[in-house]
Amino acid sequence: MVTATTKGLSRAHEVYADRGRRMRELRKAGKKIIGYICLYPPIEIITAMGMVPFRIFGDMSEPITAADQVSTTVVCPFLRSIIDLGIKGKFDFLDGAVGAHTCDIGMTTIIAWRDYIKDAPFTHLIDVPHTDHAPAVDYFEGQINFFKKHIEELAGEKLSEDKLKKACELHNKQRKLVRELYDLRKSDPPKLTSMENLEVMVSLFSLPVEEGNELLEEVIKDVKERNIKPGKKKARLMVWGPVFDNTSLYELIESAGADVVVDDTCVGTRAFWADVKAPYNLHALAQRYLVDIKCPRTYRDTQHQETERNYDKDLDSRFNYIKKAVADWHVNGVILQSVKYCDTHGYEVPNLRHYLDTLGIPSIYIEHDYSERSLAPIKTRVEAFVETLD
Amino acid sequence: MSETATPAKTDQKRAINRLKSMYPLRNVVQQDYIDTLKASNEGKPTVWSMLNYWEGDLPLKAMGLNIVYPENYATLLASSGAAEPFLDASDSDGFPTHMCGYGRSTIGYSYRMMKENGGKIPPDAPLGGMAKPALLLGSGIICDARFKWFQSLARYFDAPEWCLEMPMMATYEGSEPELEDYQVKFLVKELKDFIAFLEKLFKQKMDWAKLEELIDLAVKIHETTYKITELRQAIPGPMHATDFWSSMPPSLFFAGDMKVALKCYQDMLSEVQERVKNKESGINYPERYRLIFAELPPWHSLKFFDKLAEMGWNFVFESFGYHAPKPPDLSKYSDPCEKLARLSRNFMFNVFPEAKADNIQNPIVETYLKIARGFKADGFFMHPLISCRAASCSLRTVQHWEQEKLDIPSLWVEGDIIDKRVFNPQEVLARAEAFEQTMDHYRKVRKSKGLDW
Amino acid sequence: MENATPALFFAGIDIGSTMSKAVVVDAQGTLRGYVVGPTGAEHRRRANKVMEDVLLKAEVTLDQVAYIISTGYGRVNVPFADKQVTELTCHAKGVASLFPEVRTAIDIGGQDAKVLKIKNGRLTDFLTNDKCAAGTGRFLEVAAETLGLGLNEMGQISLQSDTPVKINSLCTIFAQQEIISRLSEGQPLTDILAGVYIAVTTRVVKLARQLKVEPPVVFTGGVAKNSGMVKAMEIVLGIPVLVPEEPLITGALGAAILARDEAFKLVQDGDYKMHKKQLSEAYIEFTEKGR
Repeated sequence: MVTATTKGLSRAHEVYADRGRRMRELRKAGKKIIGYICLYPPIEIITAMGMVPFRIFGDMSEPITAADQVSTTVVCPFLRSIIDLGIKGKFDFLDGAVGAHTCDIGMTTIIAWRDYIKDAPFTHLIDVPHTDHAPAVDYFEGQINFFKKHIEELAGEKLSEDKLKKACELHNKQRKLVRELYDLRKSDPPKLTSMENLEVMVSLFSLPVEEGNELLEEVIKDVKERNIKPGKKKARLMVWGPVFDNTSLYELIESAGADVVVDDTCVGTRAFWADVKAPYNLHALAQRYLVDIKCPRTYRDTQHQETERNYDKDLDSRFNYIKKAVADWHVNGVILQSVKYCDTHGYEVPNLRHYLDTLGIPSIYIEHDYSERSLAPIKTRVEAFVETLD
Repeated sequence: MSETATPAKTDQKRAINRLKSMYPLRNVVQQDYIDTLKASNEGKPTVWSMLNYWEGDLPLKAMGLNIVYPENYATLLASSGAAEPFLDASDSDGFPTHMCGYGRSTIGYSYRMMKENGGKIPPDAPLGGMAKPALLLGSGIICDARFKWFQSLARYFDAPEWCLEMPMMATYEGSEPELEDYQVKFLVKELKDFIAFLEKLFKQKMDWAKLEELIDLAVKIHETTYKITELRQAIPGPMHATDFWSSMPPSLFFAGDMKVALKCYQDMLSEVQERVKNKESGINYPERYRLIFAELPPWHSLKFFDKLAEMGWNFVFESFGYHAPKPPDLSKYSDPCEKLARLSRNFMFNVFPEAKADNIQNPIVETYLKIARGFKADGFFMHPLISCRAASCSLRTVQHWEQEKLDIPSLWVEGDIIDKRVFNPQEVLARAEAFEQTMDHYRKVRKSKGLDW
Repeated sequence: MENATPALFFAGIDIGSTMSKAVVVDAQGTLRGYVVGPTGAEHRRRANKVMEDVLLKAEVTLDQVAYIISTGYGRVNVPFADKQVTELTCHAKGVASLFPEVRTAIDIGGQDAKVLKIKNGRLTDFLTNDKCAAGTGRFLEVAAETLGLGLNEMGQISLQSDTPVKINSLCTIFAQQEIISRLSEGQPLTDILAGVYIAVTTRVVKLARQLKVEPPVVFTGGVAKNSGMVKAMEIVLGIPVLVPEEPLITGALGAAILARDEAFKLVQDGDYKMHKKQLSEAYIEFTEKGR
């Protein structure tokens, strides 16, 4: 269990600042650390095999200097950052790296890993189909099975049904706790800032699942007891988009006079909203990961096999969970953010903004290149957006 | 200058020695456009399809449906210099400017047609434009843009949409032989659902006999084009890249009448065989350098290659992603859906295991190493595209390994498939001269290491 | 204008990346005085100087100024400002005060460009270009340098042409090369210059079209003083544009008017200590005049 002297939000802050520390300790103690990129590798399997899943992120404060030999510059800067860090040996505590076909560049990241990064000798690439058609779910189940077989070789033992069930329950428990934490942001003002929340989220991706659950329980207890005075913040915002793993972005938004009370990002709700359902087998995993996670990389075919099509109906089917979040968290504006060169989110933006317009929800789209220095020009725009919500 | 014009008669020496058999193939595509437009004007429904490596093309053709390929249409927009208003229209509707040039063109076209022209074809659209779609057939093969942008077309059209599935190509995991049956099973299920949907939508039954016939023709076409590819390894290179790009649609997506196309490709095979026998080159200047082009061409500036041909640069091979591999033997399968699945899947995975010789984990790198050896390349012309990640991101690592394993240098030329404003031909020609010295140098290096070119 | 209640004023300071501007308005929002000058490197010192200058110009003293808002790139470096507001909101306010019906405002600065959508005098949406020189005043400077002309001269000469040369390059540097090529090909200078203005305008209008250009359109920024630029804007948009007499000060003007609004709001909320009596009286007078 947790031997750290700090607890709750302080511990989250500590873990956020040095993500690899706990992993290094566990590795010394004999555990295998399996890194994974993005939300699609089924981490329950890693946990069930007695290994520790570690989500691989880039680093917004590290200039990209070593990745040019491997890929062109007009690709996702987050993934380029990962390759850069890997070449620089920053992932030397990993025994394995698992990627998935989440997007074009996401896929090539693991392929590049194999040729350029010395660490994590065990690598695996899981193919994820593009749609949620029924044959696709079956195919994805087969892919998960293939991954399971490969990791069983690494572990030297087979995955038992019982172990998988326990792992699913632990990860589901974490998701439930995260949803509880987010409930504490519904109040006005919210009981914790988005920076604090992000530190907790990032910590969950940097700790074994049981330790993450303990951390969450501590944080929820602390935050519930807080007495927050009503502030002068003018706006309650939601942030949407791909990987948003650094507090500097949230700080920028909050210092512009807004509270960020909820999000639709993969370092937030996308990772924790859907549970694996009973009977906790590979098919349940395939269902949860391919169909239940809401990420633009999946073509959610809401009018599959229908001979008539309606744009607004399609948008509503795809995005009504955002409408609900806006209502439940009393949001008065949405910031859509994305990294430059992200195709999956880029194509989504005009459609999502149209949907928000029809609902009368103000929105703004900002693009950055996943580096701390690209944030300054965004500040003015965010401030101006908040000023329009007055 | 439009690529669709027939050759001008002139005394001036033409830089590229175009194959006579290329022109009829180009005409097959043009005729296809004209026929498609005529059919749409007569009320026949039109399907907009993405390149789907044959798994979608053949069922559509077997049902006699009218098909238009926006990706191909975008190349026409580019080569006839008409793309800008469409690109700008896409930008103005809030789509990112870094998006795929084909996507931008198509979205811009759809926007202009539906939002600015009241549903009519924009007047400046070349070759009569594309008719309103009755079905949008997207595809996840190769890259995300290709299904995401089709998903966005719902902004302009109420047409139903289908996103055809295919396992992700170019992975060693996917190439494991034991996985083939399981991938095929997936594709067959998907295809059966797709065909059932087509029957429902267009209120007609699939002509299974026709489908079998077309699959058969497809295999014959690919066998022929494969033979042509093998022959192109001759010295001097008998067929320039521009001839390939002009003549590939009938084999890449079976544009037009497949029987006619097969005959044309057989003629092309004969002509190339003749050239190899006579040591006739694909350029009208002595072949000083053999170049490989990767990956997608600058459709807006194909005349640029004439200038390089005048310098003796023969582009002997190009764009591996456009080439169908040697087709598999489908005779032992009876279900046409299974045949289709195996035909498509063949491209996705079977190109790569053969190329594992160098123990590089990136299958695209391995493929280009094999190509470089086979064609005895002096240099690579790398054309990374500002709007295409899938076809550009690997070029750096290909460049790296070509240099390291085979001492073949690369010329790095940034541009775009459609937007000519980001391509600077003057600058490239200046660098090309200097690059010749680099290629000369590495020839010596290769010889000193025992390679024979 | 002078009446029984002591005069009370409000100021706006806009510290841009190239130019600093300051405006003083009275309680009615009427312009009392303004200054414009180059920003230079020292924002804090600049802010003080610009404030001193505008007070002199407006013939008011600092303690007659009830509220000050700073805006622009350097707005955080105005220590005596009561509040900071983005230049986007301020420009919208300033433009709307001059042209109440405005729907679209296009501002081209030395190093950036902004497009604002305005409805009922309020900012509703916006887009900015602060990454690429090609759609900003910088492009014109580079062209002027290349041709050895002054900026105003360039504008005047360009007006003589009705057949602008098309300049294709998206990049300022490449465009420079293009200009030189066209000259050496013998294209008339007038046509080339007209083409330069069309090129800058096209980039900015492209940005504007993403928000749907709705008339009336107001054009501001230092560049809007240039007749060649205004002509190009009207050609590319296809509709006439309105240009304020002093197109550089709309940001500072908006800031000053917002300062007035902000001060009155505080009085309403019972929040404002300084000048309370005078402010209340000025506020009463303001509301009585029904504006």
